[in-house]
Amino acid sequence: MIRRAGLLLALAALLGGCAEPPAGSGPITIVFKHAKILGSLDPIPGLLREFERRHPGVTVRSEPLSWTSDEQHQFYVINLDGRTPSFDVLLLDVIWVPEFAQAGWLLDLSPWVMPEELAPHFPAAVAAATWGHGVWGMPWNMNVGVLYYRSDLLAKYGMTAPRTWEALVEQAARVRAGERDPRLDGVLWQGKQYEGLVVNTLEHFWASGTSLLGDDGRVLPDPERAAAALGFMRGLVERGVSPGWVTAGDEELTRRPFGDGRAVFVRSWPYALDLFETPDSPVRGRVGIAALPGHAGGAAGAGATGGFHLAVNRRTRHPDAAIALVRFLASDYGQRAIAAPGVALYPTRAALYHDAAAVRAHPGMPRFHDLALAARPRPVTPYYLMMSTTLQPEFSAAVVGVKRPEQALAYARRRLEYMLSGLR
Amino acid sequence: MTARQRADRRAGLAFAAPAMLALSALAAYPALWVLWLSLQQRVPIFGIARFVGLDHFVFLAGDARFWNAVRVTLVFTLASVALELTLGVAVALALQRQRSGRRLALSLLLLGWALPSVVTAKLFEWLYHPSAGLVNVVLGGHAINWLGDPRLALPGLVAADVWRTMPFVALLCYARLLTIPVEVYEAARVDGASRGATLRSITLPLLRPILLIALLFRTLDALRAFDLMFVLTGGGPANTTETLTVYAYRSLFQTLQLGFGAAIGVVVFALVMAVAWAYLRALRGAGVAA
Repeated sequence: MIRRAGLLLALAALLGGCAEPPAGSGPITIVFKHAKILGSLDPIPGLLREFERRHPGVTVRSEPLSWTSDEQHQFYVINLDGRTPSFDVLLLDVIWVPEFAQAGWLLDLSPWVMPEELAPHFPAAVAAATWGHGVWGMPWNMNVGVLYYRSDLLAKYGMTAPRTWEALVEQAARVRAGERDPRLDGVLWQGKQYEGLVVNTLEHFWASGTSLLGDDGRVLPDPERAAAALGFMRGLVERGVSPGWVTAGDEELTRRPFGDGRAVFVRSWPYALDLFETPDSPVRGRVGIAALPGHAGGAAGAGATGGFHLAVNRRTRHPDAAIALVRFLASDYGQRAIAAPGVALYPTRAALYHDAAAVRAHPGMPRFHDLALAARPRPVTPYYLMMSTTLQPEFSAAVVGVKRPEQALAYARRRLEYMLSGLR
Repeated sequence: MTARQRADRRAGLAFAAPAMLALSALAAYPALWVLWLSLQQRVPIFGIARFVGLDHFVFLAGDARFWNAVRVTLVFTLASVALELTLGVAVALALQRQRSGRRLALSLLLLGWALPSVVTAKLFEWLYHPSAGLVNVVLGGHAINWLGDPRLALPGLVAADVWRTMPFVALLCYARLLTIPVEVYEAARVDGASRGATLRSITLPLLRPILLIALLFRTLDALRAFDLMFVLTGGGPANTTETLTVYAYRSLFQTLQLGFGAAIGVVVFALVMAVAWAYLRALRGAGVAA
């Protein structure tokens, strides 16, 4: 350990130039930039102190960014494009990893991180980290799209969780007819013009047996199925299965009414379960978790994955210390801390989902394990953000009914082709 | 020119030089850089940086999304500025007539103006909430889909903007009203002018210069409107609230097309400059030092 610290200091002196203290004259400091952690408990300070204890001579300064995804992205882009060495380790939304790797902003970890080290993580999370033969980050936390349902209401009418969207529509109608509560909605989902709408639409594409990017890299390989899926989403609003306001709904706006007992189904992420199960929650003990439904004549449903990866700034002056921090945070020890009670995050290490202590803190974990295994990542490509922002207004137009799905998709496709052609 | 005048002129230039230097470093340099950027295809992630001349502007000319953003920006500006000015004058006149509690009214008025716009946006997000929002409760409990309906989202944003910035106009006008001598109104009363006639021929003409200044500030702000739509609707639904600045932001920081985004920025800049120039001419005509 001491030898290692000495090596780090020597490296620091070598790479850092005059900005760093000369070798042996003092400890090094690395900076960890990350999104502000929401939830009642922030595991990061405790983890960093433990890392410092294990690596004498290394101090870690944690610098939280705002929690909005757009602002984090903007901060990283401006600073990384400006080749700043002012932070060493960064927490990245999975959809940015290929983009930043392509830009040459991230240190390729493959000389240090062997494939075996990634194997314990969910495959969908690893797929995003290993774009184009490099290892650009280590998975840290996991998100997966799931369907929550009111288990008490479904049981009352002798039903179990729906396997298809068509069955879901029927179940919602039966429950609402039986309950005669005008304030009880059918299914809630995220239809506002933002990334969440793209995630919801992709899940419908997958359930219909198609995707956004074909295996050959073509955009919207099966426009007819895609249009049908988008048309189904519009239909949910038109038929009143979903309230009209889902077209402005994001995660929290849809999570709350379900949590207040005012919807039969909601499509959301694992964090919502912790909030449904708080002691004062009206739906405590009455929420079931299921895989997202498929479409009749399509495929089995799969949730989209999300989450954050740990990466190293290529301009870091302390690559060894930075890589050590990334490996520590992604280790079993590091991820155990995010599965602790009160932390609203879910780890990427599959084994933790059956760990006794973790399951005590988050009883839904074994169920989420199976759903995360079956889940799919959004297209792993450096173009993802460009595709998503181009698609958002078109998907929104189809969902609110100002464009027919075929029209919206044809326009999106033309525009994407123009954008992508400008990059070659 | 005498030697004395020449010396004065030299001294004047010397005194103005620091300000000019600071202005050119802080305003002219970035503006020129954006202009230069707009003539390039520049996408840092893909290492693309090449000169494309006016290609981006040609694309914009035929880009439906761009024209939609122009339309949204103009509708938003016209509607919100017109409402702000009308309501602002009305509130200023009401304040002037108010006998007691004027200080309290002024503080309450300032509240909306003092809030950061992101806070205002979050506030309205809950006010407009379809089932729990105060707006729908007051309107009789109908589940009106304010931010998710393509016909209602823009009016909803205009209302939020008016709530936030009307106090600015009201305070400017109120300050002007305080400086109108009481004698003018007394003379009008002696001449038997009705209330309407007094408003039309005395108050409003005297308010005109300050109204033009308020109009200038508010129009320029509204043309660059960004934060309300960014937080409340993200430009949706179906881009019905996507202004030019939101479009520029999405291109610049989300899809990292620096050249293309800069081209939209240049259009916004040209639009704002044209409007500012037109107003400044009008102000000079109204006898206000510009």
